[in-house]
Amino acid sequence: MKSLVYALVAVVVVLALLRRVRAGRRSQPHDLPGPVARTLGNRRPLGDTGLVAAREVHERLRGRFFRVITLILLAVVAAAIVIPTLHSSSRPVVRVGVVGTLSATQRATVAAALAHTRFDGLITAQRDIADARADLRAHRVTVVIEGGRTLLVETAASASGSTTTMTAATAIATALGLENALHAAGVSASQAAVIARARPLPIHGAAARPGGAARGTSVIGLVFIFILLTQYLTWTLFGVMEEKTSRVVEVLLATVRPIQLLGGKVLGIGLVALLQAGLVVVFALVLADAVGSDLLEGTAPTVVAASLLWLVLAYAFYSWVFAAAGSMAERQDQAQSMSLPLSVPIIFGYVVGLANSGPGPASLFVKVLAYLPPTAPFAMPLLVAKGEVTWWALLAAVVLSIGSTIAVARFAAVVYERAVLRTGHRIRLREVLTQQR
Amino acid sequence: MQGPLELLGLSRRFGSLVALDDLSFTVPRGRVTGFLGPNGAGKTTTMRAIFGLTELDGGTVRWNGSAVGAADRRRFGYMPEERGLYPGMLVGEQVRYLGRLHGLSDHEAAMAAAHWLERLGVVDRSSSKVEALSHGNQQRVQLAAALVHDPELLVLDEPMAGLDPTGVDAIGEVLIEQARAGRCVLFSSHQLDLVEDLCELVVIIDHGRVVTSGEVGELERGGAPRLSVRVEGDRDGTWAQGLPGVDVSEVKGGAVRLVLHPDADSDVVLDAARRAGRVLEFAFARRRLSEVFREAVHG
Repeated sequence: MKSLVYALVAVVVVLALLRRVRAGRRSQPHDLPGPVARTLGNRRPLGDTGLVAAREVHERLRGRFFRVITLILLAVVAAAIVIPTLHSSSRPVVRVGVVGTLSATQRATVAAALAHTRFDGLITAQRDIADARADLRAHRVTVVIEGGRTLLVETAASASGSTTTMTAATAIATALGLENALHAAGVSASQAAVIARARPLPIHGAAARPGGAARGTSVIGLVFIFILLTQYLTWTLFGVMEEKTSRVVEVLLATVRPIQLLGGKVLGIGLVALLQAGLVVVFALVLADAVGSDLLEGTAPTVVAASLLWLVLAYAFYSWVFAAAGSMAERQDQAQSMSLPLSVPIIFGYVVGLANSGPGPASLFVKVLAYLPPTAPFAMPLLVAKGEVTWWALLAAVVLSIGSTIAVARFAAVVYERAVLRTGHRIRLREVLTQQR
Repeated sequence: MQGPLELLGLSRRFGSLVALDDLSFTVPRGRVTGFLGPNGAGKTTTMRAIFGLTELDGGTVRWNGSAVGAADRRRFGYMPEERGLYPGMLVGEQVRYLGRLHGLSDHEAAMAAAHWLERLGVVDRSSSKVEALSHGNQQRVQLAAALVHDPELLVLDEPMAGLDPTGVDAIGEVLIEQARAGRCVLFSSHQLDLVEDLCELVVIIDHGRVVTSGEVGELERGGAPRLSVRVEGDRDGTWAQGLPGVDVSEVKGGAVRLVLHPDADSDVVLDAARRAGRVLEFAFARRRLSEVFREAVHG
């Protein structure tokens, strides 16, 4: 049922997107009579910022790059979810040869013992003990039960015996020994069956501790944040640079204020990023539910939500910086050289996050990074996955990030306004800060 | 000249360079105003100042008697010297988008974009990317983008640079049509013959100051009298070099244009021409705009 809901949401989102893109392509009216009456002042809810953002969304969604990247992300997420489940479902097969006969109770006991130790059992009859020994040597069988009383392995209890062989043999030997003893003690078959199904009691820790599922999800989330952030910040950087180098910015700024143009671009690309991230998450939820992956069990959904939240906050924080850098560049190589130092905190946060994603408590260093806006998007989801952050600490980090974003945006707007119309050379920050437009 | 667009005492320095130096002029409705000046005279800075694209050290730009604001600029159309369009965006969508930014509804913008693309002969390229268009067609699309919202003021920086005669005619027609419809049209160009044909008014600036302005006809009637003389077999006008009482204004197509000093005698000039060969043309002429320009800029 849950799968169906997720699938419906995904289908609705995809259909809405396709409709929007097609509508944009279709509306190309021809053969119109003449100029139309003006209704200047006809605005959208977000005004010029909304118009700029809508153009960004439309152009980005129409591009082949968006579709290719989305497909790659979906494929990576599918692999991350499906492959572990394939691995966990393929349990090793233990071939059990039987010389003589085994009662039905004994067969059930053998099967239960193997299942308990996570093996699939395959019981085959042997003609005689000589054949059984030959099959053991040829590894056609793993264990031989002789007359329900003795077990044969290739080399008994030695170092050369494989883990699979000895684990399976020990489990069968213990179970059959118990079954024989119960039979000798006069316990009925049904009672023996109940006893054979006995399982150890579960052991719980006094302190709750998130499982590997949340950790695995947080690692996927880290990679996800890094890829999307890198992609969308690059779009912002080159998008601003393209407007500057194509000189279209001069036409736009003749009617739109710089902050509206900059804000619209950041908002539009951010919406596309959120949309792509949302698509991937919905796809991951549907797929994980369908294949029974444990990646979304326990606290993992909280980690997914935290990763999405910090993706948005990270984009909001960095996008202004990259947009300002784009306004100072005249050529692609200039933009690239400027983006390198700006990417250092992103790469640093990502590497530290990955290095600390294993089991065990987070280091003090990671805890500090989780409150610094440039690295928080990588460190904070990790703390959430490890269960090492309280709601108020998370809220404090979010407030810090939003506050820093506002300050960065104000500074970036000044840089953008002063740099974007200067052409002919690469603009230095000092030049921007000391001279007017 | 009186008009709704007034530039009053504009000043702007870039470091030690004075781009605008107390520049003042007005642009009236209903007539095409040419904005002329040598390279670096301050034309582009002036046009940018109208749109608030450069900060001014002093002076104001006024529209209908009030300082120009964002709402006024929404009713202006601008075509910058360095063409500005998104290279990868479809032509029709681009013009429509710019119409939307100027306050048109989506439907109005679509209608107006289609109209102007049709009018300028590029409607069949509506679904092409801008980067796929020739220079001339990109220029037409740029003009469509400046006109899409039916602006009250059109400011065009070198709108005909690099265009073939057909393109020049098409854009020229539109400018005159806009002026006749009561719009203010201000455009800069180095193609002075073209300006002479299209404009009724000109403003000539140099070093950020207005050096001459007025009606083209009046400016052409003004200045010292001049002669246009053509001598057979002398395409370079060598016969006129060093002739006393005259200055050679220009030599074009074998015709020498001579500016007569106040005490000069045209008969002396005619005799000198006859001595050089058979005289094919000898006539008093009005100043050309190119001469007005040169005399205004170089003194």
